[in-house]
Amino acid sequence: MIPQKGMIKVSTAFERVIHCYLAITCLLLIITGLGMMFHSLNFLAQPFGGLKSMKTAHTYLGVIFIPALFISALLWWKDAGIFDFPSDIEWLKKGGGYLWHVDNVPETGKYNPGQKLFFLTVVIFGLLMIISGFIMWFPEGYNKETVNWMYALHALGLLAILSFVIVHIYLGTIGVPGSAGAILTGYVPKSWCLKQCPKWLRQQEKEDKLEYFEGH
Amino acid sequence: MAEKIKLYDATKCTGCRGCQLACKQWNDLPAHQTRNTGSYQNPADLQSNTWLLMRFQEMATDTGGVEWLFRHNACMHCTDSACVRVCPSEALFHTSYGTVALDQSKCIGCKECMVVCPFDVPRFDPKTNKVSKCDMCFARVERDMEPACVKACPTGALQFGDKDKMLAVIRERTAALGGKGYLYGDKFVGGTHMLYILPEKPAKYAELPENPRIPISLVAWKDWLKPLSLLAPGVALAGALLHYLTKGPKDTINKQEGGV
Repeated sequence: MIPQKGMIKVSTAFERVIHCYLAITCLLLIITGLGMMFHSLNFLAQPFGGLKSMKTAHTYLGVIFIPALFISALLWWKDAGIFDFPSDIEWLKKGGGYLWHVDNVPETGKYNPGQKLFFLTVVIFGLLMIISGFIMWFPEGYNKETVNWMYALHALGLLAILSFVIVHIYLGTIGVPGSAGAILTGYVPKSWCLKQCPKWLRQQEKEDKLEYFEGH
Repeated sequence: MAEKIKLYDATKCTGCRGCQLACKQWNDLPAHQTRNTGSYQNPADLQSNTWLLMRFQEMATDTGGVEWLFRHNACMHCTDSACVRVCPSEALFHTSYGTVALDQSKCIGCKECMVVCPFDVPRFDPKTNKVSKCDMCFARVERDMEPACVKACPTGALQFGDKDKMLAVIRERTAALGGKGYLYGDKFVGGTHMLYILPEKPAKYAELPENPRIPISLVAWKDWLKPLSLLAPGVALAGALLHYLTKGPKDTINKQEGGV
């Protein structure tokens, strides 16, 4: 994962740290949550010293997750939260060229519509997890009907986020080689940019904003 | 082991509260300072140190008089128990007698049982960070003894025994009451293991749900979303693997398709 000369910078150190912060809290929340949700996964509580400590860990990890989600939402909103019409819809209809052979997949900017969908899923369901989780933590002040639905919504949030996270990790690693550099070192090959974010690359070139890796 | 039933026959109850006291004594539940609310009912509601509460209710009759209603309020021990369904740590469980017991050492204090219970029974103790409730004296029943409350009852309002035997007692008693006794507990949540014979319609009793049931959201959560939340990520994982094996990774190295 050592950047090569001539690679292009696609993320700042701040972005990479925030991504890491969000990813780690999110994964730990998924693991501790699954450990409580299924009796067959109760063994996941072993490293925490039992279910009761894992429940406490889950609760406070949730609190630690809040800033990660809000900073992420603000940080990537402009590039990943807003769809371009009609090219993004066209891209989605063609599955981005990932699923079957497609001629002329519409060009994408910094993030493709699939990534935008993932971003919005994390933001919307992440917010849902925070709200429902908080009500589950302090259920006394709410009517029981409301709290009961929060449990169901919390499970729905897991379903949506975990499924999408798996696809996200696949496409960010072996599915699209070279992508992991974007969130580890910040540098990706130019050929990667030509495939993954051609519009953004042209824009940056035009504005002379591109930063290349020049060696250590 | 045969299912056991605790029967509370309110038509025989004098409201002496011997059961409430016996429960506290046997289960070693210390009393706290309480507030006089103008009723014999004390404390005002179930608490983490009061698993059994005698409820006292004054009710105006049609003829302008007053009737005093008593109710022995504790865990109903449902057959289809919402609390056992949600408990993430298996602290709440069904005993071989059909009753619902609680292993407090396993309780993680998530409070889910408190929210889903249709009878509003489990209580949380912030000091121990755990939930507590009546377990129908599981330890006593296991040793062929009756629950402490039943043992203490001086009038025979509380009876305990095998289900068949208790159903016979109920048939006999309701026949003797000649339509003036209402059986409560057999028609919902799979039947409860505490049954009431009430002298008034259940609807007249405070804090007594007429038609208690498992919340619909619990069915959506446990029966639908829970299995789906394993299935959907599983499909995503299998999909990713199949994609890699059949379509292969995206070519992001070469600048031109098929180029070197």
